Amino acid sequence: MITEIAPAAEPVVSEPARPGKRRRAWDEAPRWQIYLPLGIYLLFTLIPFYWILLFALRPAGSTSLVPWPVTFDHFRKVWTERSFGTYFTNSVYVGVSTLVLTTVVALAGGYALARFDFRLKRGFMLALLCSQFVPGALLLVPLFQIFARLQMINSLGSVIIAETVFQLPLSMILISGFIRNVPYSLEEAAWVDGCNRLTAFRIVVLPLLRPGLIAVGSFAFVHAWNHFLFALMFLSDQSKQTIPVGLNTLMSSDSVDLGALAAGGIIAAVPVVIVFAFIQKWLITGFSAGAVKG
Amino acid sequence: MKSSNRRSRRAAVAVALGSVLALTATACGDSGSGSAGDKGSEGSGKGTITFWDNNGGVRTDVWKEIIADFEKQNPDIKVKYVGVPAASVQSKYDTAIQGGGLPDVGGVGTAMLAEIAAQGALEPLDSRLAKSSLNGRLNEKFLDSVKSAGGDGKTYSVPTSANNGTLWYRTDLFSAAKLDPPTTWTKFYAAAGELTDQAKNRFGYTIRGGEGSIAQALDAMYGQSGITSFWNGDKTTVNDPENVAALEKYVGLYKKDTPSADVNNDFTKMVAQWDSGTIGMLSHNLGSYADHEKALSGKFKGIPNPTLDDGTRVQVSNPVDGLGLFKSGKNKSAAWKFIEFAASHEANSKWNESAGQVPANNEAAQDAWVQASEPTKLAAEALNGASTKIVQLPYYLPDWNTISKADNEPNFQKVLLGKMTAKEFLDTLADQIDKAQADWKKHH
Repeated sequence: MITEIAPAAEPVVSEPARPGKRRRAWDEAPRWQIYLPLGIYLLFTLIPFYWILLFALRPAGSTSLVPWPVTFDHFRKVWTERSFGTYFTNSVYVGVSTLVLTTVVALAGGYALARFDFRLKRGFMLALLCSQFVPGALLLVPLFQIFARLQMINSLGSVIIAETVFQLPLSMILISGFIRNVPYSLEEAAWVDGCNRLTAFRIVVLPLLRPGLIAVGSFAFVHAWNHFLFALMFLSDQSKQTIPVGLNTLMSSDSVDLGALAAGGIIAAVPVVIVFAFIQKWLITGFSAGAVKG
Repeated sequence: MKSSNRRSRRAAVAVALGSVLALTATACGDSGSGSAGDKGSEGSGKGTITFWDNNGGVRTDVWKEIIADFEKQNPDIKVKYVGVPAASVQSKYDTAIQGGGLPDVGGVGTAMLAEIAAQGALEPLDSRLAKSSLNGRLNEKFLDSVKSAGGDGKTYSVPTSANNGTLWYRTDLFSAAKLDPPTTWTKFYAAAGELTDQAKNRFGYTIRGGEGSIAQALDAMYGQSGITSFWNGDKTTVNDPENVAALEKYVGLYKKDTPSADVNNDFTKMVAQWDSGTIGMLSHNLGSYADHEKALSGKFKGIPNPTLDDGTRVQVSNPVDGLGLFKSGKNKSAAWKFIEFAASHEANSKWNESAGQVPANNEAAQDAWVQASEPTKLAAEALNGASTKIVQLPYYLPDWNTISKADNEPNFQKVLLGKMTAKEFLDTLADQIDKAQADWKKHH
């Protein structure tokens, strides 16, 4: 008896979706369906910015809806009379120092969390996460007392340390995620080639962490740049105050110079916008890479 | 690989050294001195004192001028000026009271005096004032406000100026509509209706629905009801039926004669809206005069709150600003000299002319600029006149700021939006005030 053996059914392999097809479907969509919602969203986003520009560039008292004639008086006023030049320098100093310190310390801590197993590691991670729930205002008095004992009240160092400490937990968690994404075998291969751990890290791992470092660094910079509370509380000398405090002094209890406030706002926003314009590519890569594995 | 090891070590050392150097370079501050518990000392009357301006920024220039004049007259004393943003001054004082770093002299308005005095941070100034050249030269009503706000009848700050609720109105719009100035509440409501044309985006009035709404609502409410005291025995009068009716009428203006966006109006938005739009009237205080002058020069006037039809004006007390001497100061005699100077005729006149407010120094209040500035002159007359009844708000209650801001501003927005009645709102407010008063009485 001959038994016919039916040929094994070929596995059904679903054809991978061809991106070209999807693209064509998009291409076939009427343009207005794409551009109309985008245009509305853009208007919604940009109108407040237009108002800031309008107030900053039109003369005081003008009610014109276009900034014409253009005046730079408000910029001149805040930069010279309201000491924004000094505030700007101080903010750059605080922002850059916080960026450097946060990145360096987070890199070391993040590496330890990613590559070493130690007792209470989970507890430590949990503590780092929990520290994010403590508002800065709650710690003002103890921090003030600590800095007072260190003779650091009225010094930019106090703000830099406080900002760094508050940035570190999240930065360490993020960086450890990025480091976990770098295969351990790469480091092991470098050790086989004669590198020690630090060299292997510097030569092999560090270059791969660039998007992550940029994400963490830019976050630290922007947060330190915009943060108001620590600068207000720890710095009393006018010549040491930062941009957010300066902006607040443009609003008195019963009067606001809107032109000066708008000009000050633009001065405060420009560095952040420039930073994001340069790093957006790495920032998106950085966050998506860090999101894969935490 | 050895060389790369060395490079790594060098890099690590360089980063560590860089960090240490950066922090060392910035760590040249000071420890700050004096928390609420420190007793301080009279000092030598020479050296440096620190002054915190509670309204830093806009008033910085005039303070620097006054400080320069003071230092010229007192070459042994240097004044370190610190401008603190008005919105954050309370938290800055609170942190320094707990953690140290209080100034020698600080700007303290009656709205925050109770809280700071209750923490024992301010020195009573009655005996210094009695011996001072300022004795008898300061406005008695302002001094009474300061004593009342301190909570125990002592003078914890030397008054320097007072603000006053002002009804700003557009003279051009009133003339075009052939309307009388809104000097009475009847004329106010009539004008609000006449000047509104929603289709043309023209409104008769702009109401304050956001931050700071409660004081303004109370001002309008007591002004119309004619009730002249905040207390009836141990119970507040805020929810008196006449006040409820007055508030209902006032809130009825919302959306009818005001823009609907007013529900979120803090003073900044309200003033900006009035200065750049077509709105007939605005209730604010003297402080926004300069902003109106820039935007609407020659097209507006400011008068005190409208009166009842019989000419009686009732208004709530406005915060009196002043200078406090901090107990923890190490050079109180120099600090007191500065306070005396700042409250003297010339300096007080200079400051108030710049701020457009009513001087606390009686001689300064007679100066030509006060007579020339109509809103300030009318405000001074209203504050000092016999026909004006002032309802003293309980600034002495340590909870007053919380009750009149965080606790009840959202409720006032609900009233505007019709989600709460005026009576429910005022009953809630009254209940909280009565409890705070009872609690305060237990300790005094």
